[in-house]
Amino acid sequence: MIAWLLNALAQGAMIALVALGYTMVYGVLRLINFAHSEVLMMSAYASVIAQTRLFAGFGRAGMVLSTLVAIVVAVALGVTIEMVAYRPLRARAKGASARVAPLVTAISVSVLLQSVAQLAFTATPRNLDRALAPPMWSVIVIAALVMVGLHALVNLTWIGKAMRAVAVNAEAARLMGIHPSRVIVFTFAVGSGLAAIGAVLYAGTQAPIEPTMGTAIGNLAFVAAVVGGIGSVQGAMLGGVLIGLLGEIVKRTSFSGMKDAIVFALLVVVLLVKPAGLLGQARAEKV
Amino acid sequence: MRRVPAVVLFAIGALTCVGLDLAYDGLVSWDRGSKFWLHILVVCAINVLGATSLNVVNGMAGQFSIGHAGFVGIGAYLGGAIVSNLALALKIPVAALKDNLSLGQSFLLLPVALVVVGLVCAAIGFVVGLPSLRLRGDYLAIVTLGFSEIVRLTVLGISADSATNPLTRAIASLGGSLGYRGPKVGEDYLGVPSVAGPFWTVGIAALAVFLALRLKRSGFGRALRAVREDEIAAAAVGVDPAKYKVTAFVLAAAGAGVAGALLAVQRDGPGIVGPANMKFDKSFEVITMVILGGSGSVSGAAIGAVLYTVIFYASEEALHQLAQAVPAFGSVDAAALRMTLFATALIVVMLVRTQGLFGERELFEKKADDGTPKPPSPSSDDATGTAKEALAS
Amino acid sequence: MRTRHPHRAPPDVRFSEPGSPLLAVENLEVRYGGIRALKGISLHVCRGEVVALIGSNGAGKTTTLRTLVRLVQPAAGTLRYAGEELTTIGTEQVIERGVSLVPEGRAIFPNLTVRENLELGAFLHRDKTTIAESLHDVEQLFPRLGERMAQEGGTLSGGEQQMLAIGRAMMGRPSLLLLDEPSLGIAPKLARQIFEAIRAIAAAGVTVLVVEQNTRLALEVASRGYVLRTGEIAREGSSKELLADPMVREAYLGA
Repeated sequence: MIAWLLNALAQGAMIALVALGYTMVYGVLRLINFAHSEVLMMSAYASVIAQTRLFAGFGRAGMVLSTLVAIVVAVALGVTIEMVAYRPLRARAKGASARVAPLVTAISVSVLLQSVAQLAFTATPRNLDRALAPPMWSVIVIAALVMVGLHALVNLTWIGKAMRAVAVNAEAARLMGIHPSRVIVFTFAVGSGLAAIGAVLYAGTQAPIEPTMGTAIGNLAFVAAVVGGIGSVQGAMLGGVLIGLLGEIVKRTSFSGMKDAIVFALLVVVLLVKPAGLLGQARAEKV
Repeated sequence: MRRVPAVVLFAIGALTCVGLDLAYDGLVSWDRGSKFWLHILVVCAINVLGATSLNVVNGMAGQFSIGHAGFVGIGAYLGGAIVSNLALALKIPVAALKDNLSLGQSFLLLPVALVVVGLVCAAIGFVVGLPSLRLRGDYLAIVTLGFSEIVRLTVLGISADSATNPLTRAIASLGGSLGYRGPKVGEDYLGVPSVAGPFWTVGIAALAVFLALRLKRSGFGRALRAVREDEIAAAAVGVDPAKYKVTAFVLAAAGAGVAGALLAVQRDGPGIVGPANMKFDKSFEVITMVILGGSGSVSGAAIGAVLYTVIFYASEEALHQLAQAVPAFGSVDAAALRMTLFATALIVVMLVRTQGLFGERELFEKKADDGTPKPPSPSSDDATGTAKEALAS
Repeated sequence: MRTRHPHRAPPDVRFSEPGSPLLAVENLEVRYGGIRALKGISLHVCRGEVVALIGSNGAGKTTTLRTLVRLVQPAAGTLRYAGEELTTIGTEQVIERGVSLVPEGRAIFPNLTVRENLELGAFLHRDKTTIAESLHDVEQLFPRLGERMAQEGGTLSGGEQQMLAIGRAMMGRPSLLLLDEPSLGIAPKLARQIFEAIRAIAAAGVTVLVVEQNTRLALEVASRGYVLRTGEIAREGSSKELLADPMVREAYLGA
């Protein structure tokens, strides 16, 4: 029972790490960054390539180094996506298309990266060396440490306060001398870095690395972010743990094949009943 | 120029479609190589139908759906199941069902199947459209994605051995990841019959484009535009956004369902309906068609669909030729290459020409007069003005 | 992110040359699509002055302030601040140079505490002692805020939110303070308190440009004023002259 609970919590912790990226970007930009899941997938590839090509004989230390490589790749990719695809749209947004264009772009970037991975790495799954996988308890510890750090970053530092200010009212933030564009880049960087940690933990403990892995994990994480209240950091953590638990519970029933469908059903129900999520603030959405 | 009466137009259209249908069989028996081109024609038509229907909800009503494949998939499974079971019930010989059915036989099967599929999908569209009353923009988009994923994962997730009640048994009979291959006849599966030739596909696509154009120019179309531009302002000038948004979903779902059914039972079809029809990639394909052509433009969406289909087959063929010259290209994943191409195209369109090829205009239509940008003031007076303009134009 | 602000004048400069023009606007024109919201206005604010910009709804007052901090792009004209052209730089740089805007509708951060709101106002001053000093000054100015430091901004009353917005702007230690309708939607008694605070701010040497619909209140505090009507300067002069002007009296003072 305890082992089961530990596993469920670890699942939830990994989902939460990825969910944070969705929620933070949504917080500052009101944009669902569909490409986030692909940043995760690409960073998983970065880690497995680094581990097998660069740090093969290094053991656990090699794993840590590979994770760092994955983080660097994820941050670079996340920031590039923001600067190349999203930022130019904000500069020229107008009319009804202004609402749809970011959504279409985000989806397109996601499809693009997944297809590029398909071309570059083929659909054949790869695996991180399971012998070097972190034990389940350490997954929870790592995730918890990262989240405490993030909480401190958001609430106690200047850049964290700037993020919250931009999230509430970007124009008012500019009047404080905050550069929203820098805050946004920083947000993408942090979210992508967290996704990389999540990706390595996930790939290390259970999932094979393949071009579609981003969508599989990303969907769960995304649902976690929405259920918890998208835009809320604590909400993403809570949502992650809930989705992790739910998944493990469903696995033990006769509906195990329906696990992902049930997660999506939960998403739809939450959106209909409480669109702001469990911890999110209801805000008047501008039409 | 004098207007041609609608009846005459319909008669000409129907005759053309019958001609096309007979020409299909004639051409194929004359030169088997023409099958490839005729197949593209059929797929083109089905894609035009899919894009035209998505355009009603995404382009005209501005309710961004990214779950169109869910409706297409339901239509495909349902259409495939109805046609194959009906064919057996009507005692059409199994041997004949393995081959293309004649145009005459198709009249026995398709009208019933398409009407049922249209109605069922319309009903589902109504349910999926209801959230649009509460949710907007990306939230609504997620619900539509959630819907299509739930449908797909349900088909995939329920296997014959886990099916305990009639409902799950029915879902399990759809074949899960293997796909639906019709009812079992003896030891073997019947396969989904190939029924719909150009008469049905081109005919229905043309009809859909015609209806969509009429819709756009009607009061209903103007109301949709008003809702898209500003719901609150639309309500202020007497347009009930709820009614129009949900109706748009219903129409789009019905069209998508019929497109799915035609896809399943097309002439020289695959004989199988797979869950891949409902993957997000498929929704993305239809979104690409609509956006490339221009959201809100009926002819834009149709041309986008044709363009997409042509590029689809042309790229496949080009890669095939390339692989014969340079063997290294043989291992290239054609689907991935295609998706790379279209995703890049869409990103570029969003950056350079957000409105797509046509914007909201129709083919042969003069540029709209609203060339001057409106003041960015968000005041409600102004917004009401925009909605009023939308209603009046 | 940058921590030092080389372009910002040291705080004592604002006392150094009273009377020299700090802000000079010439032939400023702003268009929203086809509509000319500002039809080439010119105005100036000297160091140490309090200047009022009055006019009715839609006259272009808010547009003027938003253009000054570069939230709106002008179609023509020049904006000079301390001799430097502002039209070529962004909002954040304008703020860095010592301009603060208290925007229309206050735009405080409702889910952040009063203290966090104020700290964000000092975003460009990371030095702890400077922030502590500024915080102290703001508490002196608005004792009510001092009592509500830990409360979320959104829970304050309208008048208190206005105080918070002004306090937040003052945390940036501006040389030029721009205020957009500080009395809007606020009980008369609180509005008077707020204008007393503006007077105190000016007395400390901060140059103030205040946009107001409440003409009498604004002209009581300001030494000079401009009347803006449908995008044009209709009148300008000392507060005394304007209060005596028949057109102003009829149109804006209800006399």
